[in-house]
Amino acid sequence: MQNKSNISSRQFMILTTFFTIGSAILVVPSGITALARQDAWIAALIGLAIGIGLIWMYILLAKQHPNKSLVEMMAILLGKWLGGAIALLFVASFFLAGPTSSLNILGNFLTIQMMPETPMLSLNLLFAIIVMMGVYLGIEVLARSSELFIPWIALLLTALILFVSFDIKPTNLQPVLEEGFMSLGPAVLSFLSAVFLPNFILLMIFPHVNNESNEAGRALLIGTVMGCILMIIIVLLIILVFGPEYTARSMYPTYELARKISIGDFLQRLEAIVASTWFISLYFRMAIYLFAFSAAIAQIFKLKDYRALILPLGMLLVALSQFIHPNIPAQQQWNVRVWTPYTALTGFIIPLIMLCLSGLRNLRQKNKINEKI
Amino acid sequence: MIRSTEKGMGMMIRRASAIVLILAMIMPLAGCWSRKELNQLAIAVGAGIDKKGDHYRLSIQVVDPGEVASKNGGANRAAATLFTAEAETVFEAARKMSRVAPRKIYFSHLRMFVIDEILAKEGIGPVLDFLSRDHEFRTDFYIVVTRDSTAEDVLKIMTPLEDIPANKLYFSLESSEKNWSPSLTVTLDELIQDMTLKGKQPVLTGLKITGDKKVGKTKRNIENIETYSKLQYSGLAVFKADKLIGWLNDTQSKGYNYIRGLVQSSVGHVPCENGGGNVVTEIIRTKTDMKGLIQKGQPLIKISVYIEGNVAEVSCSDLDLNKESSIFEIEKRDEESIKGFMLSAIKKTQEDFKVDTFGFGEAIRRTHPAFWKTIKEDWEERYFPELPVHITVDFKIRRLGTVNNSFLKDMEE
Repeated sequence: MQNKSNISSRQFMILTTFFTIGSAILVVPSGITALARQDAWIAALIGLAIGIGLIWMYILLAKQHPNKSLVEMMAILLGKWLGGAIALLFVASFFLAGPTSSLNILGNFLTIQMMPETPMLSLNLLFAIIVMMGVYLGIEVLARSSELFIPWIALLLTALILFVSFDIKPTNLQPVLEEGFMSLGPAVLSFLSAVFLPNFILLMIFPHVNNESNEAGRALLIGTVMGCILMIIIVLLIILVFGPEYTARSMYPTYELARKISIGDFLQRLEAIVASTWFISLYFRMAIYLFAFSAAIAQIFKLKDYRALILPLGMLLVALSQFIHPNIPAQQQWNVRVWTPYTALTGFIIPLIMLCLSGLRNLRQKNKINEKI
Repeated sequence: MIRSTEKGMGMMIRRASAIVLILAMIMPLAGCWSRKELNQLAIAVGAGIDKKGDHYRLSIQVVDPGEVASKNGGANRAAATLFTAEAETVFEAARKMSRVAPRKIYFSHLRMFVIDEILAKEGIGPVLDFLSRDHEFRTDFYIVVTRDSTAEDVLKIMTPLEDIPANKLYFSLESSEKNWSPSLTVTLDELIQDMTLKGKQPVLTGLKITGDKKVGKTKRNIENIETYSKLQYSGLAVFKADKLIGWLNDTQSKGYNYIRGLVQSSVGHVPCENGGGNVVTEIIRTKTDMKGLIQKGQPLIKISVYIEGNVAEVSCSDLDLNKESSIFEIEKRDEESIKGFMLSAIKKTQEDFKVDTFGFGEAIRRTHPAFWKTIKEDWEERYFPELPVHITVDFKIRRLGTVNNSFLKDMEE
């Protein structure tokens, strides 16, 4: 491993939380409510239960290959050529689907809600430049800055939750399970694909985490669960305040929620401040993506330093984010039809196959040892 | 010696490059792309919409900041001004306004949105889409319907106390909902939700101009102690989806608010037992519980209202307030009177309007979702007009104010 740098498990946990909230805080509430109506929060809770299983699978995989990154694991399990090819395919497709679309989401959000006349390119470029800067400085710097930001995020989100809790209407949640349990399926899947399945990519950072007493796995689990619980709270709150109809119709209900804050006619119109929450979380999601992909490509092609890849990848990111989704309906369709099956493949099928292969390998090695004896 | 100058040079270069870098950073940090300073914006506080033929007529009440901020009375101008424009769609009208308005209209601080009665009868749906789609609108402004006048006229009336008429409308609607309760604040998200639900239809508060409209539009209106013309909330407009179909009067509106559990505080009176006066009670808190039930395969609504109040005014000469039994007596008659309000509202909507303004259908959907699905389609035609509604009112009088028996009781005649 080149440029061995270490972050503590606590820092890894915070990064994971940021990564989990990431773009989901903007996209998930509307999407999941459109699928499951007032029961969206139940779907999210089911998603949490399944998601813990998924994370546990990733941890198991990481445990069998200590100090190896995702790409290195693929090379070990599938051989140098096949493993390399699959890793490259994985990286290339994920690069198109993950960070590119995150940046597109950010640009769209800003141009729809806050600065409609600003060209998206200039916003995305500015954002991508700080992402590249962060990744260039390395994972340690990113981890430390995430520690600096987490109190602010906690403060802003607590304020949001407290201030809008005056507008809650409990009847908005009724009737519970109107369409029955089974109808929640699509909503659960979409929640998993937004909050849990992309976290597979965090195995690229895993070897950087100080893992003396197997704390890294726990950090991954707790970080994800924390992010997920936050998402559930926000979904619940949005439905309680706006009701399912308005939530599903709204493009960015989280932002609408922040707009709703009005305490005694003087503490109000805080939405731009609350919006900084997802600027920060999106920043870390993008930075982690960019770090993971440049490190992965460096490992596939045995480059000495991943840093040389940051600028080209970052520029590609900005360019692609301009036309990856030609319009909003295309993006919404894509979220449902492409992103969900795609993440199910990369976040569930691939790790499952890898786990099976590594189990077989262990068995064979054991047999060999037995034969020798 | 030489070395130290070299060191000095290095420092110089570093310092110079740092300054250049800082200056370079100023450029991207200078601010938003399309920033607009406060003095380039016309802040809209009230908006009204009328229909003229197949055109929408949009009227926007804009704050005159110079007039509001100046301490010594300003230049004797009105604190707000009105711009109007007509176009086939609302957004086009808003943009067309740039022909008359000196600045770009900024909608984020909108307080009141007034819809014309005639337009409301044709349907408000097409107007509301723009409000929910455009990013400048928040959802915290109130929506009302005019009664017997156009929205444009309403926004032209000068108001006393509050310099900006839209602010007057905003605060007066809020305080009327809190203290008197035949009116109701409705925001955009609530209205849209009600329009889309099958088992709940929207209502909006009505707004009337009283007195002489012509004088009301001039500054003369606020020069006297009694203004010539006033803006007054009156009744609730009942909608079927997005079309206005009728009005509830003040008592029915009050009943409506009791049914929906929206009454925070109100005042009610019952006549004395032996006639010749009233006992007035101030209601300080209420709680309404609406339940949808099924009885013998038919839907049924149960409403229980819990009300706490104080005796506020007594004009009966023979009422002994020191006895608990007379308190019970007042409670009982108050219960009857409030139940009467509620029943008259229900009767009016069931017989005349045949639309579920109370959300009875939603109440059934909440408790019996499966049953609701089977009756959903015929709800308004078949089930709602015949729906039995059971009301129980529990009125509790706690305090008597600062005295016990009225002096009227001992007054020599």
